[in-house]
Amino acid sequence: MKFIFSLSLIAILLFSCTKKESINISGSTTVLPVISNAADAFKKAHPDVDIIVNAGGSGVGMNQLGEEKTDIGMISRDITDEEKTKYPNANFNVIAIGKDAVVAVVSSEIYDAGITELTIAQLASIYKGEVKNWKELGGPDKEILCVDKEASRGTRHVFMEIVLGDKEAEAPGADLVLGSNNEEQTAIVQSDAAIGMLSNAWLNDDVKGLNIKMSDSTSIEPTLANIINGTYPITRDLEIVTRGEPTGMIKQFIDFVLGAEGQNMVEEAGYVKINR
Amino acid sequence: MSKSTAKIGKSYVLASTIISALIIVLVFIILVANSWQAVTEVGWNLFSLRWNAPSDEFGILSMCFGTAIVTLIALVLAVPLGILTAIFTSEMLPSKLRIPVKSLLELLAGIPSIIYGLIGIAFFAIWLQGFFQLQSGRTILTAGFLLAIMILPTIITLVDDALHNIPKQYHEASLGLGLYKYEIIKNTLLPIAKADIYGAILLAFGRALGETMAVMLVIGSIDKIPSPFFDVLSPGQTITSKLGREIAETSFGSVHFSAMIFMGLLLFSLVLVITLIAQRANKKRIRLYE
Repeated sequence: MKFIFSLSLIAILLFSCTKKESINISGSTTVLPVISNAADAFKKAHPDVDIIVNAGGSGVGMNQLGEEKTDIGMISRDITDEEKTKYPNANFNVIAIGKDAVVAVVSSEIYDAGITELTIAQLASIYKGEVKNWKELGGPDKEILCVDKEASRGTRHVFMEIVLGDKEAEAPGADLVLGSNNEEQTAIVQSDAAIGMLSNAWLNDDVKGLNIKMSDSTSIEPTLANIINGTYPITRDLEIVTRGEPTGMIKQFIDFVLGAEGQNMVEEAGYVKINR
Repeated sequence: MSKSTAKIGKSYVLASTIISALIIVLVFIILVANSWQAVTEVGWNLFSLRWNAPSDEFGILSMCFGTAIVTLIALVLAVPLGILTAIFTSEMLPSKLRIPVKSLLELLAGIPSIIYGLIGIAFFAIWLQGFFQLQSGRTILTAGFLLAIMILPTIITLVDDALHNIPKQYHEASLGLGLYKYEIIKNTLLPIAKADIYGAILLAFGRALGETMAVMLVIGSIDKIPSPFFDVLSPGQTITSKLGREIAETSFGSVHFSAMIFMGLLLFSLVLVITLIAQRANKKRIRLYE
């Protein structure tokens, strides 16, 4: 009796292990909402494919792609030279799926108190620790809570490239170092004197994006229109990366993301379609 | 049981013991092997104050300081509270209530640490921010508080068991001598249970050292020692939080990875040493009642 029971148990376990083709995707939290929705829609259309989407940041995505732990990497910046030399056999193939801006964001209290635009130099001085109080920039008398990101995050690379001149620059003025876009958004909402760097799609009533004051005194707002016409200075392509040319189900998924339905999801997430 | 069954049983138990011991040894060997690169390439600079991976600076001192301070705060808060609570549950609680109250306290130990982390950033950090008028509630003190709550059940359970296991004779003899309740506890029971209490504290210390998720979310992750070093109301960094945030971005085999494994090795060795001390202290004690 016991023997038959255990035998049937083993049989059930073995039969329940059906082999589904699975695609692993990981990387940037900026690209994540788009790929997540696209994966859900793709799985409905192709029920025999399993797509697993993880976050971790652009650096983690490239790492895992290079070490063959994942099939598609999501990044919101360029692949660094170090990553290319670390994984010489990976043959990274970059496909842009959207455009986005990195915006200097402040808590809504600071925005409402009058600070609605800053120059790149002023942003640099905050992150270098030279300016410590909002009153030095014409705002209320509060200490600046300078929120930085982990060093390998795509959003940080793009921001620091423009603001401090070096994508891996140190920010001595940083008071907090956080990870994903969501974590940074939470920190800025919780404080009433914070400044940070976020993707354009994460702005809301409590997290306001600053205009960039250019050298000719024009003030560029972080709107989708300014990203499309290229006047907003801190923009980037949202990219997915594969090892070599994509084939099979991976290629079908990428074509889906680049197609009409996928690009609609890019817009719904708050970014700009890649093929305007 | 026949003789052969006994032999099979014995070898099975022996094999299990060897496998468990082997796992610890293997972990240690892997940690040492992977940190070798950092030790040879970075050398004594591993103990500097600057950690900046792109410029190959891997100074772990700030992280070690953070771990030490956070654990110290946790112990200072949890040990007195834990011992006093254990005295209450084992000596003053009516025996009918003891099991339900103890079970409730042990439930605290079962809460996943990520829940503590979420409560920390969603509520506790905000409350601390308002109370101390800080820029941000993500500080070393917040992490220490959360750790204290996490190690409290461990201390309470172990100290309560230690006190409860003292044979009734000592209690009755002290009562017979006419001692007050607090005198019984302070002068008779606590000294007998001293070694077990030390063991409990060391165990809690080990748990506090290794806690990652809750600390990672609330400590602010700034790789620096605070300006006056005792300023616990500023953000800092611990070894576990650093590993949690950065290990996935390092590539296997690089100096960056090796330096992080070195930090892990330090932590592992510290916990090992503490456990060994705890065991030696147990052995040395003369069991009065055996």
